[in-house]
Amino acid sequence: MARFVLRRVALLLAVLFAVTFLGFAAMNLLGDPLVNVVGVLAELDCDAIEAGTAEDTTVDAASRDCDTVAAARAEYHLDRAVPVRYGLWLGDMATGDFGTSFQNDQPVSQVIREKLPETVILLVMAQAVALGLAVPWGVLAAYRANRAFDRGSTVASFGLLSVPNFALGVVLLYLLALRWQIFPSAYESDSVSGLLFSMVLPALTLGLPLAASYQRLLRTDLITTLQEDYVHMARAKGLPPMRIMFRHALRPSLFSVVTVFGVSTGTLIGGSLVVEQIFGIPGIGREIVTAVIRDDFPVVLAIVMVVAVTFVVLNFLVDLLYSWLDPRVRAR
Amino acid sequence: MRSVGVGALMAGDPLLSVRDLHVRFATERGDVNAVNGVSFDLHEGQTLAIVGESGSGKSVTAKTLMNLLPRSARVSGEVTYGGHDVRALAAAGTKHFFGVQMTMVFQDPMTSLNPVKRVGEQIAETLRYHLGRSRSEARSEAVELLDTVGVPEPARRVRQYPHELSGGLRQRVVIAMALACRPRLLIADEPTTAVDVTVQKHLLDLLDDLRRRRGMSMILITHDLGVARGRADDVAVMYAGRVVETADADTLFADMRHPYTEALLRSIPRIEDPVHHRLDPIQGRPPESIDPPEACAFAPRCAYAQSDCLNGVPELDGLLGLHRFACLHPTGTERGAAAMSANQAAGVTAAGMPVGGDR
Ligand SMILES: Nc1ncnc2c1ncn2[C@@H]1O[C@H](COP(=O)(O)OP(=O)(O)OP(=O)(O)O)[C@@H](O)[C@H]1O
Ligand code: SF4
Ligand SMILES: [Mg+2]
Repeated sequence: MARFVLRRVALLLAVLFAVTFLGFAAMNLLGDPLVNVVGVLAELDCDAIEAGTAEDTTVDAASRDCDTVAAARAEYHLDRAVPVRYGLWLGDMATGDFGTSFQNDQPVSQVIREKLPETVILLVMAQAVALGLAVPWGVLAAYRANRAFDRGSTVASFGLLSVPNFALGVVLLYLLALRWQIFPSAYESDSVSGLLFSMVLPALTLGLPLAASYQRLLRTDLITTLQEDYVHMARAKGLPPMRIMFRHALRPSLFSVVTVFGVSTGTLIGGSLVVEQIFGIPGIGREIVTAVIRDDFPVVLAIVMVVAVTFVVLNFLVDLLYSWLDPRVRAR
Repeated sequence: MRSVGVGALMAGDPLLSVRDLHVRFATERGDVNAVNGVSFDLHEGQTLAIVGESGSGKSVTAKTLMNLLPRSARVSGEVTYGGHDVRALAAAGTKHFFGVQMTMVFQDPMTSLNPVKRVGEQIAETLRYHLGRSRSEARSEAVELLDTVGVPEPARRVRQYPHELSGGLRQRVVIAMALACRPRLLIADEPTTAVDVTVQKHLLDLLDDLRRRRGMSMILITHDLGVARGRADDVAVMYAGRVVETADADTLFADMRHPYTEALLRSIPRIEDPVHHRLDPIQGRPPESIDPPEACAFAPRCAYAQSDCLNGVPELDGLLGLHRFACLHPTGTERGAAAMSANQAAGVTAAGMPVGGDR
């Protein structure tokens, strides 16, 4: 177990290293970061101004433009080569200094702290919707495989899987919020219950297609499991069908679902970019869109890191789930 | 939902009765006729051995009795248990029938235990469901059961998972699981093929001993006629989905009539054989069960086959419960002897199989 955890931590570090390095390289090579920080001031030829060969056009003498530029260069280590800059930046990160947003001078850690909870709530609710629907749905479809209910489910799930997020979101919004007025149409944060309630539609938008793919996987695996000898044995023992389903067949049939659960978070975060926009949720998804547009690379990198950490941690949980699902994995 | 209490049977009535059972599978390649008109009776406390090569329809017969066939199976005929139609009981969702009245153990102990549940749980769950035992009662009964079937350290074993046990131990667990609710009828489908020979004998003797002590009835399915010897009261020999010979065990071993039974007997290894003694495996392969010709199914492999064997399927002659066989030139009769010498003289049977003169 200790070795298992160590291997995971090593993996986490490797993933973080790779993700941040790529992100860092992209942000630095695809544009001049100095322009992103100080805007047009980046075009000032401060060396010449220092040397007196160019004119200082600063309006406010108290904060000379060239000082601003110099401060930015120092903070983001812009005088150094990109790999060195990356190393220095990593050092800052390690001491908990995530830097400052280019857009509004807020510390990045504060941005994350404000936006992350909304997105986490959204994703947890979406997974709850997906799993809560998929398990009974998949069990019923497998129990009556190839009969009417199963065939109907196949059509319904392919339908859900082929509708794009924004379309599903808009349809749900129109029907459940505007037409029948069951759920609020936009984000509310007055109370916890109001917040959760306003998250139902976004969670459905993200969760329904995921429920459909979980259901397909669970159905297929269950049908295979139901042909196992130990299921026949359970029937020969006279146990009723639903007890056999839930006590004998379900657990060994959850592997594919759990695997997809582990990787679905990436897809869900992708979906949250759109869904947070539609429902006006001030979360990470919306934040990253604006940050990317404005080349706010400290924020982008921080969000990328948060996502990467989540991903690795979730897959660590998935491995633990595997060993709960099958004791033979534990023996390894 | 109701439960069926099968009380004392009327004197002479069988516990289990099977009449003209047919099972057909619709497959892409055509219909597979897995069982073609099987009939037998099993009386309380008796053991019937069903013997035959691979593919002869033994497991399909057993699964029909337990209502375990896939939905693609088309079943006709009658199966009654203590006078109740078994398939009707199953269709009505009758509680506490399977597992309590009749149950089954399967060929392979490696696959018939759920890999993700502790063995104790798997034994205890029937006790809890059928007999309403509490969790702790069921647990201690599971330990006792494991002890009964000769599992060492049963209190530790109940907490283990199937993969932590050897094949022999797993099959003992399966037997304990099947016997938990003291069923009146146990169907054992080649319970020992997956374990080695010494373990095999232990397990068969164990089953036999438990059966006697509990007054249980048993259907013992095997491809080895030697397993039936000394353990079965009656024997039914199956070939290509049909019973081709059946009798009480003593009669069958002393006085067999069907050439297939004779061939099966010759293929059994005997203890007194010298170490490198060559066994006589039955030549050829069992027939395809799709579109079988209207002939004796054994004819292509039968040293006695005559031209009349190729015109129509021989009937299983005789009355139910007596010595019956489906053969036109039975071994040990004058007709059989005449057929054999004619074939030896010709060097070939009517179905085209070469026969040596020295057999
Ligand atoms: N679900 C099924 N679909 C189609 N054919 C089947 C099915 N189950 C069994 N059969 C066929 O029925 C025939 C009898 O099979 P069965 O399993 O009863 O043989 P068996 O006597 O038990 O043999 P073995 O000794 O190998 O267990 C075989 O030809 C088999 O291929
Ligand atoms: S003698 Fe004829 S009927 Fe008898 S088993 Fe051989 S082929 Fe079949
Ligand atoms: Mg079989």
